[in-house]
Amino acid sequence: MHISEGVLSAPVLVAGALLTVGGTAWGLKKMDYEKIPEVAVLSSAFFVASLIHVPVGPSSVHLILNGLVGLLLGWMAFPSILVALALQALLFQFGGFTSLGVNTFNMAAPAVIAYYLFNLPVRRGNHLLSIVCGFAAGAIGVGTGALLVALALVSTGESFFHIAELVVFVHLPVMVIEGIITAFCVVFLKRVKPEILEVGR
Amino acid sequence: MKEVNYKSQNSKFKSQILILLNFAFFILICAFCIVREADAHKVNIYAYAEDGMIHSESYFVDGTKCKNSLIEVFDEKQGTRLLEGKTDDNGKFSFKIPKVASLKLVLHASMGHQNEYTLGEDEVREAMGGRQRPGESKETAKSSSQPAKISVKTGKEGLVSKEAASVGRGMSESEVEAVMERVIDRKLKPVMGILVKLREDSEKPGLTEIIGGIGYIVGLMGIAMYLKSRRKAIGTRHEAKGER
Repeated sequence: MHISEGVLSAPVLVAGALLTVGGTAWGLKKMDYEKIPEVAVLSSAFFVASLIHVPVGPSSVHLILNGLVGLLLGWMAFPSILVALALQALLFQFGGFTSLGVNTFNMAAPAVIAYYLFNLPVRRGNHLLSIVCGFAAGAIGVGTGALLVALALVSTGESFFHIAELVVFVHLPVMVIEGIITAFCVVFLKRVKPEILEVGR
Repeated sequence: MKEVNYKSQNSKFKSQILILLNFAFFILICAFCIVREADAHKVNIYAYAEDGMIHSESYFVDGTKCKNSLIEVFDEKQGTRLLEGKTDDNGKFSFKIPKVASLKLVLHASMGHQNEYTLGEDEVREAMGGRQRPGESKETAKSSSQPAKISVKTGKEGLVSKEAASVGRGMSESEVEAVMERVIDRKLKPVMGILVKLREDSEKPGLTEIIGGIGYIVGLMGIAMYLKSRRKAIGTRHEAKGER
């Protein structure tokens, strides 16, 4: 779901960059000293996740893990994902530097949404509720990300429903896989280290 | 009392870091395991000119071919669009050389993936070489083939021309050239295939990039912690002064 260089028009790129700058600033402000290692580790996880690919139809999709990142980091998902995407652009030539803002927003905004929807029930709920909410966070992170990508691509003249259908359909298997991974991680962390789920402030 | 509290907090923090480091190792191990499966979100296009045609191949980084994707061909210098076409099931798209110029192929794969490849004018001209020599118009090319035929005729009649004599078996220079080109093209075909494959492989992200990237992240973490810890230290110093 990395949008390449030279695909989007300037207004979309600028809007994406501004939103990302805002989100990153807010995330950095929320970042405690004790939380920094966690942000870095999840950034690494996100960085590596895109190398695990799932072949689907005419395209190829990969794991994203933005639901998990959001669930554990809240707004700090923005700086975490920004760093990972910048390094992917630099080292793997995935996406590009002009589209970095849009790509970061497309992945980090769903992460924040997943945080607001599911962090509390995962922490407070019983075992079953944690599993369900973990799964939902993973799936919705990817699903919303796909919709945002489709929305960004509308500006290139492709019709929204056509492209959204394609992007979402292609990512359905990834949504399921990520849901399972996120649920597993959440349950494991809750048992071993519940305070990691507290995003603080 | 205060110090004890600080110490316990410190050890708690240490254990937290330890767990995170374990997590990091887990990720690194994953990276080692998946590096063979490396892939993902980037498309590549590669093209070469041969025998009056241009052949292009398009694929995602993991080697999946881009099926049914739009390719536009531009004249690089003038920026005019010359033609467009779609890739087949093997990600291939071939077309006749529309004009001798440096050609830019732009690949539009699904979901915002895009890349381009530029063929130099020399390469395009070289591929046209069999039919059209550089600098010659079509008419002159035809007229130059005329004397070649004549020399063959004369060869049959036994009046060996200078050209034919130099070749040996009564073939003109241009004929030999044509045969040679055919043979070389045939011989080079597998080599071209290997080159395309090599290019595909070299575009995949390797272990070096992955570990390098994680290294960058750890470094950034260090910088962030350093900055925050200084601020923290300054804060506590101020507090201590205030207490006094």
